[in-house]
Formats: sequence, C-alpha cells, structure tokens
Amino acid sequence: MIHNIIRNLIYFFVFVLIQVLFLNHIYFLRMATPFLYIYFLLKLPVGMSRGYVLIFSFLTGLVIDSFANTPGMHTAACTLAGFLRDPLIRFFMGKDLPEGIYPSFRTFGYGGFLRYTLSFVVIHHMALFLIESFSLYEPLYLLLRILGSLCMTTLLICIVEAFNISPQKSGEKQ
Amino acid sequence: MRKLLDFLVRKRHWFLFILLEIISFVLIYQNSAYQRSVWISSANVVTGHVASLSASITSYLNLREINKTLTERNGELEMQLLTLQNQMDKIYADSLSFAGFAPDSTEQHAFRFTMAKVVNNSVTHLSNYITIDKGTKDGITPDMGVVSDQGVVGIVSHVSRNFSVILPLLNPKYRLSCKVLGSNYFGSLRWNGRDARFAQLEELARHVEFQKGDTIVTSGYSSIFPPGIIVGTITDFKKQHDDNFYSLDVALATHFDTLTNVRILMNSKQDEQLRLEEEAMGNDT
Repeated sequence: MIHNIIRNLIYFFVFVLIQVLFLNHIYFLRMATPFLYIYFLLKLPVGMSRGYVLIFSFLTGLVIDSFANTPGMHTAACTLAGFLRDPLIRFFMGKDLPEGIYPSFRTFGYGGFLRYTLSFVVIHHMALFLIESFSLYEPLYLLLRILGSLCMTTLLICIVEAFNISPQKSGEKQ
Repeated sequence: MRKLLDFLVRKRHWFLFILLEIISFVLIYQNSAYQRSVWISSANVVTGHVASLSASITSYLNLREINKTLTERNGELEMQLLTLQNQMDKIYADSLSFAGFAPDSTEQHAFRFTMAKVVNNSVTHLSNYITIDKGTKDGITPDMGVVSDQGVVGIVSHVSRNFSVILPLLNPKYRLSCKVLGSNYFGSLRWNGRDARFAQLEELARHVEFQKGDTIVTSGYSSIFPPGIIVGTITDFKKQHDDNFYSLDVALATHFDTLTNVRILMNSKQDEQLRLEEEAMGNDT
C-alpha cells in the first residue's frame, strides 16, 4: 500500500515536472505539443476506486493549468479522461483483470495497452483542443493540432513505457 | 428511499465527475474575463518560484544572443548621444547668449519604467502568457504596458506580490491599437494563433497609403503605451472581407521566443486619463 502511494507520488512529480519544464515549450511545426503528463493517469493501478481516479485527474489538470496559465482547460480534459478510464479498461481488457496491477505492455499486452493508451489520449486531446478552440475557431487547423499532438503524445508514452518495463518486473512483488 | 440512497451511493462517482467538471468550466469562464484570480496561474508562489528557478538555469543558454542585442542597442544609443552632443556643441558655438538647457522642473514625463526578468514564457499555445519576476512589491499594477528593447511585448494582466503575468501580443485576447508610422490612421493588431513571428493589423481604412516594409508603431490612444513604440513591419496585406478595410500581416519586432528582459512602463497619468474617459462615457448614458 505504502509502496503504491510513494510510486504514484513519484510518477506524479516526475511527469508533471517534465511537462511544465520541457514539453510545454515544444511546438513541433507550429502544430503539435506532446502532453506526456497523462501517462501518470494511464498508469494508476487497475481497480482503484473511480472517485480517487477522478480526484487525481482533477488535481493533475489543475497543477498543469496553473503552470501553463490556462485555468480550467487541462482540468476539464483530464477529469473527463479520468472518468472514462475505467470503462475503457473494461472495454478493452474485460472485467476479469486482477486488482491492483498497473497497466503496462506486460500486463495488458502490446496491442491492449496501445489501444487503451490511444483511446485515452484521443479523449483527452479532443476535449482539450475543443475547449481551447472556444477562443479561436479554425476547424482545419484544430484538426491538424489534435492529430499532431495525438501522434507525439502516444509516441512519447510508448517510448517511456518501453523503458519503464524492466524496473517494473523487479519492483512488483505479487 | 433505501433504493434511492443505494442508487446515489453506487453512482457517487457520477456526481463527483459532474461537480469537478462544473468547477473546471467555471475556471475556464472566469479565465475569459479580462482580470482573473492569481492563484491558478504562474504568478502564484509555487509556480512562480519553480518557473524562476528554471529560467535562471535556461537564461545562460541564450546569453550570447542577449549580449548581441544589448551591444547593438548600446551602439544605437551611443550614436544618438553623439548626435545630440554635436547639436549641443553647435548651439554653444552659435550663440553667446545660450544659457544651457533648463527643463521646466514642474513638468514631469508621464512614463517611467522598471526592468524585469522573464521567468516563464510560452509561444507555443494558442493563448500565451509571460511571467516576470516583479510584482506589487515593486509597484506593478494590472494594465501597465510592457516593452522589450526590440519593441512592444504586451500588458500586465495580473499581479501577485513577487510576480506578474503579462498578456503578450501573442494572445488572441489582446488587441493593440497601432498605426502606420507617418500616417495617423489606426487599426487594431491581433494575433491569429499561428506563427509567433507575425500578427495581423485589422480595420485599417482602405485609403491609407503604405508599402511593404513600413513600420507599425503604437498609436498612443490608450493610456498604456506612449505613441511611437515600434511594434513591427508590414510584410503583406490583403483586403478584408467587407472590402472597406485592409488586413495587414505584421512581422513583430519583438522576438518572443528569446525574450529574457523586459521593461514595464508606468504611466503616472493613467488613472487621471481613465477617470476622465469614464466620466465622459458616463455622461452619455
């Protein structure tokens, strides 16, 4: 239990810091910004109560918002994605997953994790960019931005996940 | 009743979800208002300090660039000084009765400025903001103009004790009243969210004469900027859809992606002007 909390806290700080210090300044071809911080939400243990997942998503969004000066935008998008996390896992992986495992390439399989990640990122990015477009609406540009960011975020998550696989094997005592 | 309670408990995450989404949307709409609270922004204590820490590390990276602009600026000012000195010398030599330049001591220049360091900056978002390391402690208040040594940057949008957040030209929420240097027709400059190097000057009357490469300066019609501060140069123009106005592409003079030092303009007469304008508008209704 304590191991879980510490692990989640470390994930939170590391990915939020990476996001606000480096990734927020990336703007590939003036279109795409990766939002790696949702990796933290992706990796919350399966079977965590939906209330907690919601609160974590909300807080993460709030922290990112306060660094990026965009009150509410990331918060709303993260809350929505966090809310749909459980149904997504159940949809892709079925109901009979052991409680407490972390979503990863190993536990979900490559295809399963990729589908789960992709749909989570799609929900988050759609919400985020649609909210952002309240202040400036250009459909084509919006679509390009969503697609660009989607590719970058998913790619980054897969890279991080690929490097993350070995410490997990030794870290999980089950 | 029991069933209802059961249902509510079972679906409690739905209510939590709706509550949290409502909070987020309240934040979003508050944000659309011009002034907003400081606590969810990069001007609060934690975010401000993290940002200034990372800025103090990264500021070493473009010291060379800064050095170059400062040297250039220095050279320019030195040239001006030389010309002025030349003129002074001429006047001295010309007339025996010249008693020196004695400015009127009761007249004071309306604008003063403070230097500040940029601690957080973005050019990548749709709505960009800049955080600087001066706040109410140093006499900064909202609605002050901000310039760099290259040109206009933006205006102060909100302020905490040690930090302030600037609404730069690179934010579609901000419109700056500008004119083409040499003519007095003005239009409003707005960023379209695409390229951090260009902004669009709209609502410029169609009969105004200008050429590509002409300089765009502040009009001085707001109390925020004095007239004549460089904003950028014209790179392209086209007719707006209603055909009576031009829309110009303006290459911004300020390089926002390498911004490290800015100056905040304090207009000591701003209050007076605003009050007078409000009074005049109040009389209308």
